[in-house]
Amino acid sequence: MRFVLNEKIFLPILLLLILCSCEPLVNKFDDIEDAVLYKSNNIVDSQYSADTLLIMTWNIRFGAGRIHWFGDCCGDRVIMTEQEVTTHLEELAEYICQVKPDILLLQEIDIESKRSAYIDQIQWLLDHTYFNYGVYASMWQSQFIPSDGLGRIDMGGAILSRWKISDAERIALPLRGDQDALTQYFYLRRCIIKAKIELPNRADFYVLDIHASAFSTDDTKKNQFDCLKGEMDKIKDIQGAIFVAGGDLNEIPPGSDSTNYCDEDRCPEDEPNSCRDGSDFTNEQEWLNDLYDSYKSAVPLDNYHADNSHYFTHGVVNTDVVNNDSPWNRKLDYLFTNGDWVADSDSTHQSTYKLSDHAPVSAKIVVK
Amino acid sequence: MKAMKKIYVIFFTLFFIACAFPMNAQWSSGTAYTLPKGRMEVGLFQQIRYGQTETREWSTHPILDLLIPNLTVKKAWNTFADWNFTTRHNMTYPTPLLRIISRKGTDGIISPEFDIPQMISLRNEVLLTRKFKPSFLITGKAGLTLAVTSDELDERTTIDLPIIFPRLGVYYDGYAVNFGLDVGGDLNPRFSYLTDVDIFLLPGADEYFAFEHKSLIIWNKSKKLQIMFGYKLVYGEYPFGTQWHLLPLFDIQWAREFKKKK
Repeated sequence: MRFVLNEKIFLPILLLLILCSCEPLVNKFDDIEDAVLYKSNNIVDSQYSADTLLIMTWNIRFGAGRIHWFGDCCGDRVIMTEQEVTTHLEELAEYICQVKPDILLLQEIDIESKRSAYIDQIQWLLDHTYFNYGVYASMWQSQFIPSDGLGRIDMGGAILSRWKISDAERIALPLRGDQDALTQYFYLRRCIIKAKIELPNRADFYVLDIHASAFSTDDTKKNQFDCLKGEMDKIKDIQGAIFVAGGDLNEIPPGSDSTNYCDEDRCPEDEPNSCRDGSDFTNEQEWLNDLYDSYKSAVPLDNYHADNSHYFTHGVVNTDVVNNDSPWNRKLDYLFTNGDWVADSDSTHQSTYKLSDHAPVSAKIVVK
Repeated sequence: MKAMKKIYVIFFTLFFIACAFPMNAQWSSGTAYTLPKGRMEVGLFQQIRYGQTETREWSTHPILDLLIPNLTVKKAWNTFADWNFTTRHNMTYPTPLLRIISRKGTDGIISPEFDIPQMISLRNEVLLTRKFKPSFLITGKAGLTLAVTSDELDERTTIDLPIIFPRLGVYYDGYAVNFGLDVGGDLNPRFSYLTDVDIFLLPGADEYFAFEHKSLIIWNKSKKLQIMFGYKLVYGEYPFGTQWHLLPLFDIQWAREFKKKK
C-alpha cells in the first residue's frame, strides 16, 4: 500500500489558503453598501392608503430597557439573559402597537449580539407587530470586541414599514477623529440608512435614518450632520420626492436652555467636577442650524423654546442630580421633512421611561 | 496597569494559539509515538514535551502554566497488527486564566458580572498510528473529556470564538468527546507535511458540533529545529449560529537530547 501526496497540488493550495486565512475581526464597511432587507413572517394587508402617515423614531437601546448597563449609565451589567431581552422587546412591541406608526425609524437595534442573547431584534419586532417589511444597516459589527466581555456584536439602525422597501442603502458617516487607531478599529462606524417606501398612493417617498456619534469631543458630529443634509438635499432635488429624515442625532437643539450635562452624566466613581465625553454641548449649539433652516422639524423650534422639557427625549439616571420620576433632561431625537407635517401632530412619548433611555418622537406627515 | 494589560493579552493569545496546535507533526506528538527517552521538544506556541522513558512522555505549556496549569502524560502500549497504540491523559485547571480575563476595560474577554467557579478537566484519548511506506503516517484518535466545577458556570460566560469555544464547552456540560484523523509524511528530505481533521462533540449542549482541519508544511531545518506554517479551517456551532473560520498557523520548534544514563 502506497500513499503519495502530490506536492505540486498540495503546496499551491496550502499557500492560497494561508493567504486567505487572515479574516478581519471587524467589518469596516464600504462608503455605500446595500442595506439588509427583512420581511415579517406574518405579512398583513398593506394596500391601505392614507393622506397622512404617522412616522416615529425611537432609539430602543438594544432591548435593554433601563438595566444598568456599563456603557451608558454607570452600571455593571454587560450580558443580558434571553428572558430579559424578550421581556423588554415585548414591552417595546406593546407600545409600538398602541401608537401604531406607519413607518418606524429605530436606532440601537441588535441583530446578533452576545449582550442581547443573539436575538435578531428586527425579525422579532416584525413578527410581533403589524409591520411587514424592514431594512437594517449595521454600525457596529465585530466577531469579537475584547472589552468588558462584550464579545460578538452586530448593532445598527433599522426602518420598519407597512409597505415594501426598496433602494435601501447604508451610507457610511465620518468616523470619530478623537480616538486612537486601535480603539477606532473596534469602535462603532456610524451610518445613515436611506430607503424608498413603496406607498400605494405616492411615488418617491424616502426615509433617512441616522444615529450620530454620542461621545465625540471633536467636530465628528458636525461632519455627520453635513452628510445627512447632503443626502436630504439630494432627495429634495428629485422632482416631486419627499422624505422623512430622523433619528438620534446626539445633539441638542439650537437655543436650548441648558447646554452642559456634566453633573447629570457624571458617574459616582468619577472625579468631582469632571465631565464625561459628550456631556457638554456648549460649543455645538449652532450645529443643527442648517437642518432647522432648510427643512421642517416635527417639533418646531419655537415650540421647543417655549418649553424645553416637554420635548426632552433622553435621560439617564446616574446620580442624585437626576430625578427618577422625571429623568428626561435633553432633546436628542428628531424628525425632519421637506414636505409638510400635520400641525400639532407631534408627540414626544415621555411615558416610555422604563422602555429605553430615549423617548420616541412621532408626527404625522402629509403624503397626498 | 498598561503592562499588566499587555501580559493578559499575551496570555490569552498564547492560549488561543496553543489550542490551535493540539496535535502536532510527526516530528513531535501528533502520532501514537512517544518521544525517545531523554529528548525534549519545545515550540514557540506549543507545549514543552519530554520523553521520560521510551514509552512515556510528559508535556505542558510552560508559559500558560502560570495561569492555566496543565499537564499531559502520554503512554505507549503494545502494537497491534502494525498499529501503534498509545493513550494520552491531560489535566487542565482553567480557573485562574478565566478569572483574569473576566474584567472591566479594554482587555475584558468575559464580563466581570459573572463569578468563575473552580473548574478542572481530565481528557483521556486513545491514539492509533500506522506507518506506511515510503514515509507516510496515519493516526486515528478518540477522546473523552470530563470536567467538574465547584459551582454552575453561567452560560453567558462563553467565549464565542473558534477553537476556544468547543474546548471550554466541557465546563458547562461536564463532558465532551472528540475524534480525529491525522496524515503526514515527507515531501522531500527537507520538507514534510501534516494534515488532519478533528471533530468535537458536546452532547449536553445546544451548540453540539465543531469541526477543525489544518494543514501544515514543516521545514525540517535539522534534527533539532523545525519551522511550520499552514492554515486551520474551523466550522462550529456557536450560541449565535454556525460559522466557518480560516486561520493562519505558524510555529517554530526546537529539540534537545539529554544524555541517557547508563
